[in-house]
Amino acid sequence: MTERGVVFDLGYVPYEGERRARRGAIATTYRDGIYRVFGIRRRARKKILPWILVVFAMLPAIVFVGFAFLLSTFSPEAESPFGSHGDYFSITGGVVLLFVALAAPELLIPDRREGVLSVYSSRPLLPDDYIGTRSASLLTVVAAFMLIPQVLMYIGFAALSADGFFTALVTNADEIPRILAATVVYALAYAPLALLVATIASRKAAATGIYLGLMFVGAGLAAALVEATTLPGSRYAALLAVDGHPDYVRDWIFGTTGSSETTIANAGLDPWISLAVIVVVAAVSSIFVVWRYRRLM
Amino acid sequence: MVDAAILSARDLGLAYGSIVALHGVDFDLPPGRIGLVGANGAGKTTLIKILLGILRPTLGSAGVLGFDATKDMLDVRSRIGYMPEGDCLPLDISAAEFVAYAAGLAGLPRNAARQRASDVLTLVGLEEERFRPLEGYSTGMKQRTKLAQAIVHDPELVFLDEPTAGLDPEGREEMLELISRLGGFGINVLVSSHVLGDIERTCDWVLMLDGGRVLRSGPLSHLVDAETVAVEVIGDIDAVAQHLIAAGATVDESGQRLLVSTSADDAFRLVRDALADTGSGMRSLGPKATTLEDVFLEGSGS
Repeated sequence: MTERGVVFDLGYVPYEGERRARRGAIATTYRDGIYRVFGIRRRARKKILPWILVVFAMLPAIVFVGFAFLLSTFSPEAESPFGSHGDYFSITGGVVLLFVALAAPELLIPDRREGVLSVYSSRPLLPDDYIGTRSASLLTVVAAFMLIPQVLMYIGFAALSADGFFTALVTNADEIPRILAATVVYALAYAPLALLVATIASRKAAATGIYLGLMFVGAGLAAALVEATTLPGSRYAALLAVDGHPDYVRDWIFGTTGSSETTIANAGLDPWISLAVIVVVAAVSSIFVVWRYRRLM
Repeated sequence: MVDAAILSARDLGLAYGSIVALHGVDFDLPPGRIGLVGANGAGKTTLIKILLGILRPTLGSAGVLGFDATKDMLDVRSRIGYMPEGDCLPLDISAAEFVAYAAGLAGLPRNAARQRASDVLTLVGLEEERFRPLEGYSTGMKQRTKLAQAIVHDPELVFLDEPTAGLDPEGREEMLELISRLGGFGINVLVSSHVLGDIERTCDWVLMLDGGRVLRSGPLSHLVDAETVAVEVIGDIDAVAQHLIAAGATVDESGQRLLVSTSADDAFRLVRDALADTGSGMRSLGPKATTLEDVFLEGSGS
């Protein structure tokens, strides 16, 4: 005789498990931020641009290491013809600029437009937690864009070194703090301003456009003013070249100042002035964003 | 006074510049299903936002589940749920994703959040559609998703702000049915609505606001108790009315209908005697159904 199955209607079952309150809310918001900028658990079209940029950031490093491997196969003593760690920031810097222009609006604007902030406001999460966590998500991704290819090159070139892997790692260890410092500089230069624009703009496309406009128009305007004006102090117009500051500071960090022909370099400004501009813009942007979200939530 | 009040306010006030949204609000509300009623602009949403800790009162204090709504905001928010009146759904993800996310925001671990989201979406009748993007949902489905995110973490108290807004009659019935069931799940409910019929259907205590002040607060059964008898007379209605007035009743005449109330005697017996003595007949007789709307209009002086 076969036993017949029985369906039980359990109805509503109270939850008696772990509750992590604010800590859990912050972790959930942070994870959602990472997923969101990469389009994870979202439609395919949301994944296209972020992952294309990931490929653009990573592929050159893989190609460089691959060529270095081929070269070392034929001549173990040969130096890699490809640029230094500092030079690679020129590639990832541009990619990260585009990524941040897309990611910052994606992180902030839908929550405001679709009213989701009211859900955050009913959870154990402060406005500062929300905006701090969203910023942390963006900074994490920016750091990953910058650091992963650098780590790949660092380990890859060390593995191919004629001096041996561990010797090369130790010999080049002084590059590590420079790589980290340059990563912080790029993150500070790009992310807070993008979050500021995303806080003000009501549409994602507008925010991306305004941000890229600020970067590129600022660079063009700075170049025109520096070249066209002969008044004393006109060289400080070069500070308007917002996108040029991290490159200039990066050259300073890697000890290659003067190697690039940027508007800021041509104006003869000290690199610490560029660093100060980056820090001030990041601080002012962050203060405004926090103030705004304290009013919204 | 209410024993073990889950919500309380003492001289609560809030002003937006020169506009006073709430003034001198005092109440103690018991566990159960509480209706918060009032016209648009009465201060209902402002009161809910103070209780959630979103707005800081300019005067007085508010308590939620024994916590100060302003000072202990995070403790309060760990124990409550909120279904806002307006949109609150990200349209590019599924209901399952969003409700699990809402559970995570309340502090539930990932696996528990996913399991709870699945259970609660089934409970609100969205088990089949829960993996579809929210942008394709009807208004009724969106309202049910909003309710699901409000209760997914099993709160002690849930605030529902105009939960039937925009729903067709069938969707409204389903939503009211769901709200009525929440009490059985051990979840206390504060339902804010300007549709008084919805409150009568779902709540057992009513807090009425008018112009930012408390108009009434009490058990629904007390507010709508019928002490008045309505009779539709066939015959000489004036003679019947005079007979009732002579017997000490208060009479309100409207067409062939009389509303009869008396504090000294049984109104039904007076009506029976008046009809018999005047040789009149009647088409209907019964207690006057006093609705929440009558109570509200009477209290607000409209």
